[in-house]
Amino acid sequence: MFRKLYLVFGIGVILFYGTAALLGWEFGTPGRQQLPPDARQQGYRSFHFWHYGFRGGK
Amino acid sequence: MAMLQGNCPACGAPVSFKSGSSIVVVCEYCHSIVARTDRALEDLGKVAEVVETNSPLEVGLRGTYRGVPFELTGRAQLGHQAGGVWDEWYASFQNGWLGWLAEAQGRFYMTFQQPLPDPKAVPPFSRLQLGQPAYGVPSQVPLIVAETGRARALGAKGEIPYRLTPGETNFYADLSGAGGVFGTLDYGQFPPLFFLGQEVTLAELGITAGGKERAREERRVAAAHLNCPQCGGGLQLRAPDSAERVTCPNCSSLLDVNQGQLKYLKTLKRGEFEPLIPIGSLGVFEGGQQLMVIGFVARSVEIEGTRYFWSEYLLYHPQIGFRWLVHSDNHWNFVETVPPGEVMEFEKSAQFRGKTFKIFQDAEARVEYVAGEFYWKVEVEEKVRAVDYVNAPLMLSKEVSSTYIRTGGTREKPELVWTGEINWSLGTYVPVKEVEKSFGVSNLPRPSNVAPNQPFLHKAVYKYWLILLPVLILLGILMTLFGGTGQRVTTNDYEFPPLPNADGTQVVFSEQFELRGMRNIEVTVRSAALDNSWLYMEGDLINDDTGLVQSFPIEVEYYQGVEDGESWTEGSKEDDRTLSSLPAGKYTMRLEAQWEKWQQPMPVTVTIEQGTTRGVNFILALIALSIIPIFVLIWHAIFESRRWSESMFGSSSSSSSGSDSDSSWDSD
Repeated sequence: MFRKLYLVFGIGVILFYGTAALLGWEFGTPGRQQLPPDARQQGYRSFHFWHYGFRGGK
Repeated sequence: MAMLQGNCPACGAPVSFKSGSSIVVVCEYCHSIVARTDRALEDLGKVAEVVETNSPLEVGLRGTYRGVPFELTGRAQLGHQAGGVWDEWYASFQNGWLGWLAEAQGRFYMTFQQPLPDPKAVPPFSRLQLGQPAYGVPSQVPLIVAETGRARALGAKGEIPYRLTPGETNFYADLSGAGGVFGTLDYGQFPPLFFLGQEVTLAELGITAGGKERAREERRVAAAHLNCPQCGGGLQLRAPDSAERVTCPNCSSLLDVNQGQLKYLKTLKRGEFEPLIPIGSLGVFEGGQQLMVIGFVARSVEIEGTRYFWSEYLLYHPQIGFRWLVHSDNHWNFVETVPPGEVMEFEKSAQFRGKTFKIFQDAEARVEYVAGEFYWKVEVEEKVRAVDYVNAPLMLSKEVSSTYIRTGGTREKPELVWTGEINWSLGTYVPVKEVEKSFGVSNLPRPSNVAPNQPFLHKAVYKYWLILLPVLILLGILMTLFGGTGQRVTTNDYEFPPLPNADGTQVVFSEQFELRGMRNIEVTVRSAALDNSWLYMEGDLINDDTGLVQSFPIEVEYYQGVEDGESWTEGSKEDDRTLSSLPAGKYTMRLEAQWEKWQQPMPVTVTIEQGTTRGVNFILALIALSIIPIFVLIWHAIFESRRWSESMFGSSSSSSSGSDSDSSWDSD
């Protein structure tokens, strides 16, 4: 049982590595966010947007 | 085949010599041995009728050996010095060959007399050494002395090719070699007669058991019920043709069995050793064969002042003979004998069928208790030298029994000769659950230690690791080869103006650039002006079409100086950050920077590349793939350490590679 579990795990690791390499996935990449639609329309380059709006008061 | 006919000199009944090489024939009517001489037939005396054994052979049976037809024309029954009988069948071949088909413990050996090239090279019987090479005998395979003993002619039937004298005793030595080669030195004369051949099966001889088997079965059942001469209680002989000793289940008397007659020997102490599997139980083993427990022996060895006990169950099946089930420290082994000549023994190891076994124990084993029936004259306190060699899940065991027998002289000054026997057996580890399943029992005690030949159940993990590791490495190489070294997307130089204060930041937005999907993104920041200070940046890649934002931090610091006349540096003027791929599209990068020397402007070069090859993911995959095998390796080392801690030969002999050989034992 143990050896079969390891075999499945090992195949999983290799598949994951191969898939990650093919998709350009990198371990430890921070999460992503989405700009609000209005910011995209009105422009997102203002200091106020990044410091008080989008990131909530950084 | 020419046939000589005549009349028995003792009773006048007709006798005939079917084979021209036969010297004597046993009269079917009066059991006189009739020898043919140059002049007439001679009466050599009466011989006992052969004891019916469990043999599937009989006089008159025909077979084929190496393509040559033969007929069994005679049978000599010989008694072993330790009790028990064996049969030797005289095989008269159509092409004139004279063969002997010996039968003992369900095994068959076809041998032919061979001339000795240098009879003086053969040692006298008294100089033969058990387990040592047999010198002076012609054989392509080296032969060792497996047994020395004295045989007594007990009975005969049919025609015999030598002058068989009833009751005559002869010394003999059985020789064994690899590949089932078997030889015998018959010391009825000196130099001895030499017979060489090999172990054969009845199937190889074209002999099939038929009606005789059924007749034997009926006889066996009929002879199986006897009464104890000590207490009068009923007892059963389950292998009556082979039994030499039996214990009474009612009064625990040890009884000698002699041709169906029981003789009281002694009363055994009861209750000290009780079989976990009752005598008479049936167990299913190897290929569905049902074997019956017919005997139970408790044995012990003393090691460094401590006596260790174990028990052995004698299993029996009329077709396959005897096997053993050994129970020690709640571990079980299924054991069968192997020809001594198949084993090569060295100082601390033995080889058998291409496998090397390491010595585990060498001690004198003593019989403590017996119950049931046995094919040899077992005695309590009987001692043998027992040597165990292991290669899990197998255990190769050697037992050497030896004794002096008197050949003459006076009571005060007897002439003695040393005889003995080497028995090799191969044990296979059987998990408790399988023993329970075989006998249909439950709740057998579980072991708490590691048995000498207990297999480590997780060795297959190494095999899978060795398969998966090259796959991963190959994949890594392919990814490097076909993934390329990375493609530059954009490079921009920025000069951040001085910060308004130490806590302030400066922000720049890049020109729009295009990113391709399914490729990682590497952002490199370099500042040639950085010196003994730090630069911290927060970056954002913004998809101008979808508004997706991928944030990332980068910190660059570089310090250098001279201390005690030696220059030093720490950090770098460049750092990078690799991010997972983003959906293909047009992006803008926002960089918000802060640096230590805030009063000064900060020039930076920012490069974005895609599809770079990184080793981190490969290393992580390698670690993930290897962590379980490493854990198993540690576990295995502890397991082997526990195994060899029980050995007389210590952990110096241990190694994982040498102790486990068969991955078929891996758990499933």
